[in-house]
Amino acid sequence: MKRLSRATLAIAAALSVSHSLAVTRGGTLVYGRYADSLFLDPVLNDANLDIWILTNLYDTLLQPTADGKGVQPGLASRYSASADGKTFTLTLRPGLKFADGSALTSADVKWSLDRARKPDNGAWSSSLASIDSITASGSTVTLKLKQPDPTLAAALATFNAAIMPQKLFTAAAGATDADKAKAFAEKPIGSGPFVLSEWKKGSYMVLKRNPYYWQKGTDGKALPYLDSVRFEIIPDDNTRILKLQAGEIQGAEFIPLSRVSELKANPNVNMTLFPSTKVNSILMNNRPTLKSGAANPLSDVNVRQALNYATNKDALIQVVTYGTGKAMTSYMSSTTPLFDTTQKGFPYDLAKAKSLLAKSKYAGGFEVSVLATSGSADDLALLTALQQMWAAIGVRLKIEQVDAATKTARYRANDFQMRTAAWTNDINDPSQITTYYAVYDNVESVHTGFKSAEIDKLFAQSQQELSRVKRASDYRRIQTLYANAAPIIYLYETPYPVALSKKVGGFVQIPLGNNIFSGAWLDK
Amino acid sequence: MSNSYVLRRLLQIIPTFLAVMLLVFLLVRLLPGDPASAVLGDRATAEIVERTNRDLGLDKPLPVQFLIFVQHLLRGDLGDSISLKVPVLRLIGERLPITLFLTVYAAVLGTLLAVPLAVLAAVRRNTWVDAVIRAVFQVGLSLPVFYVALQLLTLLGARLGWFPIGGYGVTFGDHLYHLFLPALTLGLNLAAVLVRTLRASVIEVLTAEYVEFARAKGMATRVIMLRHVLRNALISTVTLLGLNIGALIGGAVITETVFAIPGVGRLMVDAIFGRDYPVIQGLTLTFAVLVSLVFLATDLLHARLDPRTELS
Repeated sequence: MKRLSRATLAIAAALSVSHSLAVTRGGTLVYGRYADSLFLDPVLNDANLDIWILTNLYDTLLQPTADGKGVQPGLASRYSASADGKTFTLTLRPGLKFADGSALTSADVKWSLDRARKPDNGAWSSSLASIDSITASGSTVTLKLKQPDPTLAAALATFNAAIMPQKLFTAAAGATDADKAKAFAEKPIGSGPFVLSEWKKGSYMVLKRNPYYWQKGTDGKALPYLDSVRFEIIPDDNTRILKLQAGEIQGAEFIPLSRVSELKANPNVNMTLFPSTKVNSILMNNRPTLKSGAANPLSDVNVRQALNYATNKDALIQVVTYGTGKAMTSYMSSTTPLFDTTQKGFPYDLAKAKSLLAKSKYAGGFEVSVLATSGSADDLALLTALQQMWAAIGVRLKIEQVDAATKTARYRANDFQMRTAAWTNDINDPSQITTYYAVYDNVESVHTGFKSAEIDKLFAQSQQELSRVKRASDYRRIQTLYANAAPIIYLYETPYPVALSKKVGGFVQIPLGNNIFSGAWLDK
Repeated sequence: MSNSYVLRRLLQIIPTFLAVMLLVFLLVRLLPGDPASAVLGDRATAEIVERTNRDLGLDKPLPVQFLIFVQHLLRGDLGDSISLKVPVLRLIGERLPITLFLTVYAAVLGTLLAVPLAVLAAVRRNTWVDAVIRAVFQVGLSLPVFYVALQLLTLLGARLGWFPIGGYGVTFGDHLYHLFLPALTLGLNLAAVLVRTLRASVIEVLTAEYVEFARAKGMATRVIMLRHVLRNALISTVTLLGLNIGALIGGAVITETVFAIPGVGRLMVDAIFGRDYPVIQGLTLTFAVLVSLVFLATDLLHARLDPRTELS
């Protein structure tokens, strides 16, 4: 399957090279989204629905590369760290402008980053927490750090570090930063490839090309190629596909994996599976007792490992993801930097599962309950398959369907035994998923209650480790320790399924999820 | 029908309104999960959730929250949507007309379909015509709305290309064109309810003594149909339409999702999933007022059509 998606990518890449000699300029690309954005401020919001639009409107100093593994220059053409790692210097490109034509200066950069790193501002301020002070002079921005920070370049390439126009923002109506953000987000001005021209909430959003965008296309003229992108909100999967087939839209996101092969066979549709950082797993409550006071078999590592070995990932990949997934071998996706390729994960091994369970107090099996999102066909397919797989070692799986808000509330209160979960990275660095999944202090290791003093120590060390080789070895050890403790059920990685009209070229969704329309074009 | 009756009925809406307000206020807070968690998602830390709840005033005791809500309401302020961060009143103002358009459109299509067919079935009762009409609508009634919606979309939208797939359009003509399939979906469902009841009442009228008498007098069938039968059919249609207005709005929730129409039905679904309290409260109050007004209008129309009705 991996080979197949690679082949698809290779073909897509080859096509885009041959096409790039003759890209078409102009036109409007109509793209079907499953839900609308909520609030377009990069600092105060962090829903994927917003992030994936924000990155088209606002630019960052650095940018994630298309493979999602590295960082490349953005508004800053050059960046360097001092030998002790405590000073980070960036040089802005000459003549940068915001979408209204006003100049983008290093003062805007200082102001934007100061706003983004203010501890009260949003959930993302911590990504810039290592910055002690910022100075701006001419085209140079200097960041003084409290300690060396190997994640900083990736953090500066992340949506919350977007550069906003200080003058326009402070001139917006309202007394507080939050009020001004509300007013500004109605008509945001950034320096990204597009600018918001019309937004009818819940219905559609139109982004027009930013005539002042700095990046050049293959034809030597300024990007983007498209005149505009129109996002239509079409919540129903079938309707989105029908609209694409009828030619009313030229792109549709979140295609159900069950329809991928059908759309691949359609000669007018370019069904693409973009590699993602999405990992799908089942979180387990590792605590000795449950919220109800009952004893919890999942507190025994033998039980947790047994369940992992009793999970036939290849079968699940066929049944639930229609062959589009790939077995997880680490808690992080294989597209995450410092993913350790030597990790084995938990290959299906029923004999091993049985012997592990026999070592525990629950040799005769037990009942375990799992929270599923009601109405999610994927959750149901997955869990009914697991019911059968785990029955083979005497474990009875009880499925409890609740709506998403209830699921979140129970998860937050540690009031669950198991739950389905998915994760995607927002930043090109393994530290984000690690703080959530493996380090206790942030959210109790995604509320599993898992705690490892050694992981905590290794992680703290890796956060200041400037040598990539040493950092990689820290992460190899973290991934191994995590697998041995098995606080979650390792399932599979899944791609981003996007269906595009054959007329569309150059569109990319990177593994972090960002939709990149700046290099997209539309054949007439 | 006196003006004082109308005024009294309008005043009666106020206690209903207050009761609904209190009920909804308490009900949404009984739901597990809070808006901050729903907006922030799984990843937020406990501190951020707590801070957001404090910013939203949700850490205050319930009676205080309710008082603030009523105070704002008296000033005509329904609050701001938690997830969309815009005034609820503006959201409703933008989206309600779309749902009303769809509902009225569906009611018109449903009536246009149901009345002639019901009369036909009644006149030709117990023939094959009657059997076919009744069978078709019986099936129509038992099919789920989303299924009918998808079939119409696939056939008339995608395969034949006669109608656009989803959306709302810009001009009035556009609306009529874009909303035809969703309105037909809802209209078919409504017609199924109407046909059954209408057929029965038309049969009743047809066998009534005064119709027999009119026939005996030699009055033309067409005149009998217009003057007696249709007038009666209209009375029951109006009542049934009024009673089904709630069902129509409920059906709109599904059709608005399938046909990608940005109406209040979809807004409500999103608000419930997102635990967006102000939006849920604002919409419920709007629905309560609307349904009350429709019931009043139904009663008044009923009285106008049937002089025997006494309004008191």
